[in-house]
Amino acid sequence: MRILIGVAALGGAVLVGLALAGPHLAGAPPLVVVSTLAACVAVAALAVQPWLTRRRVGWHLRVGGIVAVLVTVHVVALLVEDPDDALYSMSLDGPTRARMALIATVLLAVVTLLGVLRRRLRWSPATWRFVHGSLAVLVVVLGVGHAVIIQGALDGWGTPVLLALGGLGAVGAVVRLVRVLRAPPAGDATTPDRGRLRSGDGPRG
Amino acid sequence: MGHPGAVPATRTRPHPAAVGAVLLLVAMIAAALWRSDESGTGARDEGSTGGAGAAGPAAAATVGPGSTCTPTLTNPGGRNNYRPDAPRDVPLGRGLEITGVVRDTLCRPLPGVPVQVWLQTASGSERENRTTVLTDADGRYRVETDPAVSQFGEPNVHVAHDAEGPWRDVFQRHVVDTDDTLAVVDLVLVPAS
Repeated sequence: MRILIGVAALGGAVLVGLALAGPHLAGAPPLVVVSTLAACVAVAALAVQPWLTRRRVGWHLRVGGIVAVLVTVHVVALLVEDPDDALYSMSLDGPTRARMALIATVLLAVVTLLGVLRRRLRWSPATWRFVHGSLAVLVVVLGVGHAVIIQGALDGWGTPVLLALGGLGAVGAVVRLVRVLRAPPAGDATTPDRGRLRSGDGPRG
Repeated sequence: MGHPGAVPATRTRPHPAAVGAVLLLVAMIAAALWRSDESGTGARDEGSTGGAGAAGPAAAATVGPGSTCTPTLTNPGGRNNYRPDAPRDVPLGRGLEITGVVRDTLCRPLPGVPVQVWLQTASGSERENRTTVLTDADGRYRVETDPAVSQFGEPNVHVAHDAEGPWRDVFQRHVVDTDDTLAVVDLVLVPAS
């Protein structure tokens, strides 16, 4: 687990370094720089996020909140800096990459809400995990996918790093989904918790 | 199997309705992406690395007596970062030529028509980097600029006829590559009234 976290952190640092070192952000408005760097860190956080669900649920919750904040910063910064292009990208006439980003953002909001409302929804753990996990897979694939397609700060070496981080996140989420679909034996500690954290899972700080 | 109080095995699988809803959502997302235009609705890749003289679809059409040209419509995103009253003949650099022929619907070239061009380059953002030029006797406008750079995910150029006069406004947004040396955007104008 620590190795995975380290790999994701390293990948995020590489993305930030590539973005800052490349020509695309040279002379760019500060809001564009902030938006791009927020997205770089969000990709790294998404890569590690599904792997935290097994034994580090507290960290999973924190990182989920961080991802939501980072994506909000990413979108709002673009909206403030260039409302014409931002609103066009979010429209039905926007390019494919923007449509991917828009869908990923909406799904991220849904996934985050599912996390916040887990106890109130009173869904079975398997149903909740299936919906939360499958939507999370879509968030990773579409969110990182739009970053791969975009021409800009992460061209060149940024592409394989993005693909590696996206693959790490997607594989992690799919692994968790497969476990849910395989239906753990009745009496498993995961079945009756209705979203309650087991001892030691919660935030400690 | 299981101990007292354990949840029945059937409840350890996701509800079929949830599975169906997720599968339907995946299908809808796939359809939405499949139906989208790679560069946005109505945006064409008008760039090339060819020499001057290459021409876009309208210019390539046979133009002779009795011909008619389809009016150019403002495409989505065409007005993005538009500012009126762009200064005339501002030098925007070198490396990319943006050109085209302005015609009426009878395919007659229109001389002396103002055309505004704006784009993002390494030396200026899309909101700053703009100029207006007039078409020559053959209805052709020509702007020399630094190469386009990616802006919102893809290099793009804007070409518009926006001045008050006998012709209706039209705004175009098309995409190019960063190493393109030529972009051809023709306009077919309709009378303002």
